[in-house]
Amino acid sequence: MAKPAAPALEPVTRRWALLAGASCLLPLLLQLPLQIAAVIAAAGVGIGVLSWRRPLPSALRLVLLLALIGTVLIMTGFALGRDTGCALLAAMFALKPSETYTLRDARSLIGFALFGPFATFLLDQGPLSLTLGLAAAMFALSTLQRLAEIESRPDPLRASEPAQTHWQRLQAIGRLVAIGLPLALAVFWLFPRLSSPLWGVPERALARPGLSDRMSPGEMVDLMNDETVTLRARFRGAAPPTSQMYWRGPVLWNFDGRAWTQPRWFQGLPAAPMRAGRTGWDYELEVEPTDTRQFVSLDLPREAPPGTRLSIDHGIYAERALTSLSRWRLQSAPPVSYEPQLRETLRRAALSLPSGYNPRTLALARRWRAEAGNNDAAIVDRALAMIRREFVYTLATPLLGRHSVDEFLFDHKAGFCEHFSSSFVVLMRAAGIPARVVTGYAGGYFNPVGNYWLVRRSDAHAWAEVWLQGRGWVRVDPTAAVAPERIYDTLADRRPGAGGLFGGIAGATPLFNLSDWLRRGWNDFVLGFDASRQQRMLQPFGIDRLDSSKLITLFVLFASATLLWMVWLSSRGERERDPVLRAWRRLSRRYRRLGLEREAHEPALAWAERVTKARPDLGESLLRLSQHFSDWRYAGGQPGRREARELRNELVRALRAHRPGPTGERR
Amino acid sequence: MAATQARDDLDTGGARPASRRWIALRARMMSLTRPRRPEALPARFDRRRIYVLPTGFGLFYGALLATMTLGALNYNNNPAFLLALLLGGAGLASLIAAQLQLAGLSIVAIDAEPVPAGMPLTVRVHARAAPDRVRRGLRVDDHGALGIDAAVLDLEQGAGEAELRIATERRGWLDLPRLRVSTTRPLGLARAWAHVWPEAPLLVYPTPEAHGPPLPVGGGDQAVTRLHPSGDDVHHLRAYRFGDARRAIAWKHSARRDTLLVREYEQPLGADVELEWHRLSGLGQEARISRLARWVDEAERDGCRYRLSLPNQPTLGPGTGPSHRHACLRALALMPHG
Repeated sequence: MAKPAAPALEPVTRRWALLAGASCLLPLLLQLPLQIAAVIAAAGVGIGVLSWRRPLPSALRLVLLLALIGTVLIMTGFALGRDTGCALLAAMFALKPSETYTLRDARSLIGFALFGPFATFLLDQGPLSLTLGLAAAMFALSTLQRLAEIESRPDPLRASEPAQTHWQRLQAIGRLVAIGLPLALAVFWLFPRLSSPLWGVPERALARPGLSDRMSPGEMVDLMNDETVTLRARFRGAAPPTSQMYWRGPVLWNFDGRAWTQPRWFQGLPAAPMRAGRTGWDYELEVEPTDTRQFVSLDLPREAPPGTRLSIDHGIYAERALTSLSRWRLQSAPPVSYEPQLRETLRRAALSLPSGYNPRTLALARRWRAEAGNNDAAIVDRALAMIRREFVYTLATPLLGRHSVDEFLFDHKAGFCEHFSSSFVVLMRAAGIPARVVTGYAGGYFNPVGNYWLVRRSDAHAWAEVWLQGRGWVRVDPTAAVAPERIYDTLADRRPGAGGLFGGIAGATPLFNLSDWLRRGWNDFVLGFDASRQQRMLQPFGIDRLDSSKLITLFVLFASATLLWMVWLSSRGERERDPVLRAWRRLSRRYRRLGLEREAHEPALAWAERVTKARPDLGESLLRLSQHFSDWRYAGGQPGRREARELRNELVRALRAHRPGPTGERR
Repeated sequence: MAATQARDDLDTGGARPASRRWIALRARMMSLTRPRRPEALPARFDRRRIYVLPTGFGLFYGALLATMTLGALNYNNNPAFLLALLLGGAGLASLIAAQLQLAGLSIVAIDAEPVPAGMPLTVRVHARAAPDRVRRGLRVDDHGALGIDAAVLDLEQGAGEAELRIATERRGWLDLPRLRVSTTRPLGLARAWAHVWPEAPLLVYPTPEAHGPPLPVGGGDQAVTRLHPSGDDVHHLRAYRFGDARRAIAWKHSARRDTLLVREYEQPLGADVELEWHRLSGLGQEARISRLARWVDEAERDGCRYRLSLPNQPTLGPGTGPSHRHACLRALALMPHG
């Protein structure tokens, strides 16, 4: 038997289904690189228009599918990763309109569309994505509702049912979601989480903006114009002064004349010895997702927190890429001495310069070395003094040529941290002082609402570390010599919100503070929740650790309680809006025990008379009440509004007070 | 109807001839579901006789959510996890809502105007429920037993009815199959259904013969006449009334009396028609029944009084009118099948 053809969707419903699909795709597209998103969106719209009247031939659909997948793969450079996967999903989804003609198709469209918000959340967990994603999911559910209505009514033209308004539909869906919410929350907090993933987490193939293990000219400018928050820190105890807030990230050793990179070969070596001073900071970091394994820490961390490893230059590497928000408890300290004995291989790495670059710088360094003799510190001071005297800070820099350090030091004498740190390190190395570039963030913004510090991408910074005999590695920030206010966030125009969304509005800072605090709370409460937090969840109540058996018991308890709650909520039925009617129905229900409940078709007075016959003792007051009720309900021409309300309330009270008992009226 | 078939596709599987085993399994499942035997109406759907199972799409939705949950747990991605949970919660709530669409519903009566066998019988299913919940778009069908089209039941102010059309083949009592009242609302993820199996059978009249001899001429005692404008015998004259045909005016008589008079005619309608089983001895049982059924209808149409005598039964009539016709056709319908 051939499969019967499924009924075609009428155009209105088809349009709604496609619209719901598009709304699910939208947040995902926003997270993809612009060009890819544009291609997919254009393809989706084009295919939607082409297939509006009649289906596309299946051969054409196949060709389109292959073409679109090919385009996306080429645009991502065949790099396979989480984001490429999402892009492919979006591309396949863009073809869906060409095969959505029946009820069944529409349902499968909606089903697949629900993956849209899901994929979005894998890429980004910001407020915009969350809002759009949830709205899209709601929309998809309300379309499912519409489809179920169509299904139960084979001939919509003959439908006697009044069409629901969009608002009513949304309300119905909101009701369903609200009823399901307690269960969802119970599962969310109590369902045992995985402490390690079941399968490897594919990384993003296309880099997310952030610190990288590479510093090439101009790369930092993008970061420095990005006001996105990259980390939040809450100190337990004292916080360092802003001028000491150096969030140390990738340490760059290798210079090829143009870009600084992190060497791979000695990353596996154990962390260099460090003697910490008396001051120290105890703090909790909340790192926004970066998709790299490395994250920054304040100055030098004393030890690696669980789940991480320290590299030789005290970079902190997590075991997995930080694809979602992560939280770390750290202790840091400024070092008294840091790697006072430098191994020969490292020393050579910290002195190497590419040959054939920057001859003028090399000459200057040789001259300084000759004049200073063995005093490395004097050379450092001299360089800083020169920078302080002759250089200016600007983000508007010309493109530098082959001898970039020469051009910066002798010709332009203007630039930003990238130029200062790079040139300074080259100068030091040329003078025979081991030196390296450190990238990270400097400064921070204190949010008085919530009492924590936040660091934005625009705080990205690069500085230098030089190795001095007896002290080891010492931090030197040549940029700070020129423009400390640019670095430490002390300028008024660098305050959050100054150039952003609320730009120019005086008093926008409190608003920003509050919104970031809310964001942090959301991060804290929802995004950062994981297996270890789950185990510590009941600490405030004296339960130190929830092992999985306790957790499962709790989960089962709460889940069944919420299920019962769901059943109760659902079965309550819709509440009558009119208080008089409500009281009247309750009154008639009270007669059920006496077997005298009002029949659905029975008028109020007829019922009262019937009751009077059976129970003369109750009849009198019931008759009076029914008379009142009928008068109120059917007599037109209400007196003044206020009076009417009083009358109504009086009637409701009287109806409620009437309680029939087995012998006479109970008082 | 196409919608029915599509539903069956999405359902746990329509009855396809290839899957005999499936049909057997389903029959077995049906024998376990309540009610297990015909019942007296009204039948109230309580939670013991309401069944809820996910539809095909519901299973797909569940698989989708399971994938999402697994992925979200693996990536420890809380927004994605919450999304999956919210969708799951809404899905579960819709299961409950589907069940509640039926809970508390009573099928209070089922009736049908009898029709001759071969014509579709329109069966009205009357339902009642407390008006506290919107109950719309409930589907009433027979779960494939007789292959009847589904009807839609909407409750308005706590009452509503659905009209099923059931094909009829045999005269006599038509035992209703177990009827299924079902809904996939609100989200189409699950189908909630309950069965009602009314024990009261419905009557199907015998099929009247298509072309047969005319009514036998009546030989009864009380011949009746009826006034008829086109009759042959003038009965009497009466005063003109507005609307009388002009050619009915008796001009001569009117001229004599100075007022318009109109002739009224009468036509003899013959005697009571005798419809007797024994007179049709040349025919088979069914042929006799269908001829008598036709004569009953013709006699009724012509306004004759008629009498029906069947073997082993008291004679019906003479009489005329709907109730007499019903009594005659009922008696014919309930003749033993030969």
